[in-house]
Amino acid sequence: MARTLKDLRPVYVVGVGWHRYQNPSETPYVTLGVTAIRDALADARLDWPAVESAYVATALLGMASGRPMLRHLGATGIPLSHVENASASGSTAFRQACIEVASGLTDVSLAVGVDKRNPVRRDSTGMDNLAEDAIAQFTHFSLLTNEYAHRHKVSFEDIARVAVKNHRNGAKNKNAQRQQERTLEEVLGGKKVAGSLTALQCTPVGEGAAAAIVASEDGIKRLGLDTSRAIRVIGSTARSERVYAAGLGFDAVLTKETTTIALQEAQVSPQELDIIELHDAFTVEELHYIENIGLCPEGQGVHLLKEGTLDIGGRCAVNPSGGLIAMGHPIGPTGIGQIGEIALQLRGEAGARQHPKARTGLAHMVGVGAVCYVHLLQRP
Amino acid sequence: METLLKPTLYATDGTLQGGRCTCGHVFFPMQGHGCEVCGRHGADLQPMVLKGRGKLLSSTVVHLHIDKARAAPFTIGKIALADGPVVRTLLVDPTREIEPGTAMVTALVPVGRSENGQTILDLRFAPET
Repeated sequence: MARTLKDLRPVYVVGVGWHRYQNPSETPYVTLGVTAIRDALADARLDWPAVESAYVATALLGMASGRPMLRHLGATGIPLSHVENASASGSTAFRQACIEVASGLTDVSLAVGVDKRNPVRRDSTGMDNLAEDAIAQFTHFSLLTNEYAHRHKVSFEDIARVAVKNHRNGAKNKNAQRQQERTLEEVLGGKKVAGSLTALQCTPVGEGAAAAIVASEDGIKRLGLDTSRAIRVIGSTARSERVYAAGLGFDAVLTKETTTIALQEAQVSPQELDIIELHDAFTVEELHYIENIGLCPEGQGVHLLKEGTLDIGGRCAVNPSGGLIAMGHPIGPTGIGQIGEIALQLRGEAGARQHPKARTGLAHMVGVGAVCYVHLLQRP
Repeated sequence: METLLKPTLYATDGTLQGGRCTCGHVFFPMQGHGCEVCGRHGADLQPMVLKGRGKLLSSTVVHLHIDKARAAPFTIGKIALADGPVVRTLLVDPTREIEPGTAMVTALVPVGRSENGQTILDLRFAPET
């Protein structure tokens, strides 16, 4: 019988750090990456030689980008792997680090995500297609927006409220790419990209880095780390797309499948979630995902949004970091940055963004493919 | 004279070149790599002509596009074909979104001229009239 993460050794997030997500610049990726790692080491009050393995998440830097970065921390000779899994690269690297610690192979492991905005190259599958070159990501999600609005009789204005909330959260986050509050009029008034989707309802892909250090109880004890700030990883689940009935949104169905398993394995109900960081690259996604995570029935997400249920201080703070829409989505770092935000929230260290009495958090990421990753974190 | 832009994907009569696995799964386009449902490959996957009709699931007018060769605006539709597969491609009308549920048919539209002077046709969808 296969086991779950919870059956293995307990794993804790002990340090988190960032290089701010930002518009593309001349800053070398090495600077971005080492800044985030040093931030995470300082947060953990840990020295680099204590780290026993490293997973580098990057989708756009090309081959073997990790060693030219990590060597500047002192080349300790630790095993190093690169993880590419589209938008879920960071989440995947984090999962690998957790698995390695949980299995007992290491006591302290690092997941770091770093990326610059470079062109995406995908080799041909050998199959032609009708007009995939005409279907950008925002076009895919504009189709979903129109389907959602039609099926649930929801207005585009209400869907756009996701962006208002997430820009409001991002305005309080020093690591966010967009740190400006926006009114609904501003969100709706911006440049339209496809259908009703405006630029402020889409993630700004930029650059940045995020790091998370995970440790076992043995590691925490041996290194004298602060147990009161350690956040336990109580679940890690990953799935990829199957063949679904025509008309079902694969991102939403895959989210439901993955989250259901994750919550069941960790014995957590959706109502117990205080914090959710999810893949809101486009506004409609947040509604799809909160519904499929189980916060409310399908088509009811807008009501929660308008009631303030999803605000910081509401029943469950969704994307308190600002989410992909405001915090940004530099690809490799994004999933690790979600873990960092949840760790801050569960420790009570999120400052102006602090959600009161946060105990349990869920990180959700989908990636082109499609793949889906869900992590559950809890304050002991 | 006319020629097709992507003759491996569709025919001059507006049908699509799909495939069918012995497990019953119908897919588009035809491919021999393997069935997405059961993994069978080779002779278990046979070409199947798919009718050029279906139902619109969603459509959107694209206002901005990075590739200048595809001048915006244009409209993308997601269509559930009568034979099963869901396809996403361009609609004939570049500026109008269409009510979900509308019956759609394929249309071949001129998109350019080949070196030897033939009109190049590409497949689009439009509401059934």
